[in-house]
Amino acid sequence: MSIACADLTKVYEGGQSGWPALRGVSFTIEMGEFAVVTGPSGCGKSTLLNIIGLLDEPTSGKYSLNGRNVFSMSDSERSDARRDEIGFVFQSFHLLNRMTALDNVCLPMMYAGVDSREMRDRAADLLHKVGLKGKERKTPLELSGGERQRVSIARALANSPKLILADEPTGNLDSVSSGEIVDTLFKLNGEGITVVMVTHDRELSKRVARNIRMRDGRLEQ
Amino acid sequence: MRAILNAVKTGLTEIWAHKTRSVLSFLAIAAGSVVFIDAFSAIVDTYARLERQKEVSGIARMRISQNYSQTYSSPDDYVPPPAISYEDVEKLKEKVPGLYMVSPEGRDWRNVLEYGGERLTTSLTGVTPDWTKRDFIYTLKGRFLDWHDLENKLRVCVLIKEAPPPPGFDKTMKKKYNFTGGYDTLVTHNDMVGKTVKIDGYTFTVIGVLEEIPYSKRTRSFVNSYQDYKILAPVTTLIHYSFIGSYQSLDVNIDAGAEKDFEDYMKKVSNFLKIRFGDEEFFVVENQLEDIREKIASSVRSGLVTISLGMLAFLAGGIGIMNVTLATVFARTKEIGVRRAVGASRSDIMLQFIVEAVMLGLIGGVLGSALGYLWGVPIKVMVGMDASPIKAWMPMVSVLIAASTAFVFAIYPAWVAAGLKPADALRAE
Ligand SMILES: Nc1ncnc2c1ncn2[C@@H]1O[C@H](COP(=O)(O)OP(=O)(O)OP(=O)(O)O)[C@@H](O)[C@H]1O
Ligand SMILES: [Mg+2]
Repeated sequence: MSIACADLTKVYEGGQSGWPALRGVSFTIEMGEFAVVTGPSGCGKSTLLNIIGLLDEPTSGKYSLNGRNVFSMSDSERSDARRDEIGFVFQSFHLLNRMTALDNVCLPMMYAGVDSREMRDRAADLLHKVGLKGKERKTPLELSGGERQRVSIARALANSPKLILADEPTGNLDSVSSGEIVDTLFKLNGEGITVVMVTHDRELSKRVARNIRMRDGRLEQ
Repeated sequence: MRAILNAVKTGLTEIWAHKTRSVLSFLAIAAGSVVFIDAFSAIVDTYARLERQKEVSGIARMRISQNYSQTYSSPDDYVPPPAISYEDVEKLKEKVPGLYMVSPEGRDWRNVLEYGGERLTTSLTGVTPDWTKRDFIYTLKGRFLDWHDLENKLRVCVLIKEAPPPPGFDKTMKKKYNFTGGYDTLVTHNDMVGKTVKIDGYTFTVIGVLEEIPYSKRTRSFVNSYQDYKILAPVTTLIHYSFIGSYQSLDVNIDAGAEKDFEDYMKKVSNFLKIRFGDEEFFVVENQLEDIREKIASSVRSGLVTISLGMLAFLAGGIGIMNVTLATVFARTKEIGVRRAVGASRSDIMLQFIVEAVMLGLIGGVLGSALGYLWGVPIKVMVGMDASPIKAWMPMVSVLIAASTAFVFAIYPAWVAAGLKPADALRAE
């Protein structure tokens, strides 16, 4: 999984005009890397991650995901790429509260058309793997913050993606839970999954080889 | 296919999670279905009655009777108007050949019937064998009057056994005016065929009993010439024994046979009357075909009015569903974002909201059809209205229309939902 960005800019419609969130960002991330994105609040980290994850489109620039030019992809191709190649972990979890943990993990597989038995078995395995055995039937509202984030990691892994994008995954968690989540992400990286993680944690950036520092919509360095 | 199945599953949980909202949104649709079924069945019933009319009562019908609305400038001008006699009827048949039925009818009132030591009040009607050609809603025991009886003025008669009144019939009225209750009991409890009775002192032989078919087994036709027949006897006999006076005019029921010859026969019959009785309008020829046509037209018209009411209800239901779906889209923007993030495409989202709306429409349609059936059959019978037949296709068509209405009105909200950018949708609260 390689990510190659060149001169990405993003101007939000309805935002402060002439104050772009991204102002020419270029970098590449190679397969298997663990990249940490840091920078002050409002510098454009989430914007960048959304573009990388095909949740949003840049205003200009080039972006190729695994050699494919993202601009030439149709909506359904992008949707398929999100479904099969990318897993998201968000600061505020973004789980569906009316569904059980198990059904939340099933969701990406449902859109992939996985057979329903197989889907439930795999979802149960994944919940087991992130340490939530026995909590399959609980809804997110019945789980702690750390547990919710583990459900969302299980969901991110559902379709065996090659890339995990995590936007401040520990932002809403205490230090113990944070440590567990970060450890899990390192473990997944150890299994060959590329991880791009936005964080405010200075310590964490010291643990990884790849640091992307941002300020005012640009990369530092 | 699997996508639709998933959408159905999600839809069901959503509908269940918002029961009140869902019920409110499909009520109007249900109302539309009720009204539609009612209108369909009314229209179908109209045509069924028309068929029945053609089959049993005939459609090319006319009736000659005395014109009671003649006016005279002064009482001194009054001369008794001419009356139609049995000979006039014979002449009519001769001069206007080809009529399917020419059935004269003369009535005597309040006759006294004696049988087995009992004296009962009843009424006599003089008829010919042609009487059985139309409106024959009876089963016959014994035999009916024949031409031999007529020619020989035989004192034979046929008794009529009435069916119990239809549901919803005002029984108190019946009691009040029923001066022949004893007669009805007599024919119900005795096998009268072959017996001899006395009517106003004359002996008559009962050659047959006609039993009315129950109302529930009859389809109503348009012109129900509801006549209270009790005892039928040859019209010639009744004239001969002065049950029917020479001044008394016979009414004549005519069936021209086919609808296409009707106007022609109308003219011929009027002409006959003119030639025989002069230019003055002593008689009226009632055009019953015109009546039937008018009744069909008005009942189809009212069916169409009902259908347009149903359309309005469906429109209201559709707008309700659109409103609910739009509200759902805004309430679930975040969810849309989550689903998009894990791989749902625009069409997946669109499908989800359309399927949900169509399910609301289906539920409304099914519920409405059930209510429509309840309204159409048991309730109408309970309140004494005529139940019209409900065919299997009626609820199916209603449900189909309900579902398609929901589909059409869900397209816009679903399109709005599908058009949301994933990143924007996720940011929603
Ligand atoms: N949907 C939007 N519409 C308009 N402006 C936006 C939108 N999203 C972000 N912005 C603006 O773009 C800039 C970058 O925002 P972004 O969320 O990428 O920052 P961030 O680095 O993730 O900050 P934080 O660390 O607080 O999450 C900010 O100035 C923000 O106000
Ligand atoms: Mg952010």
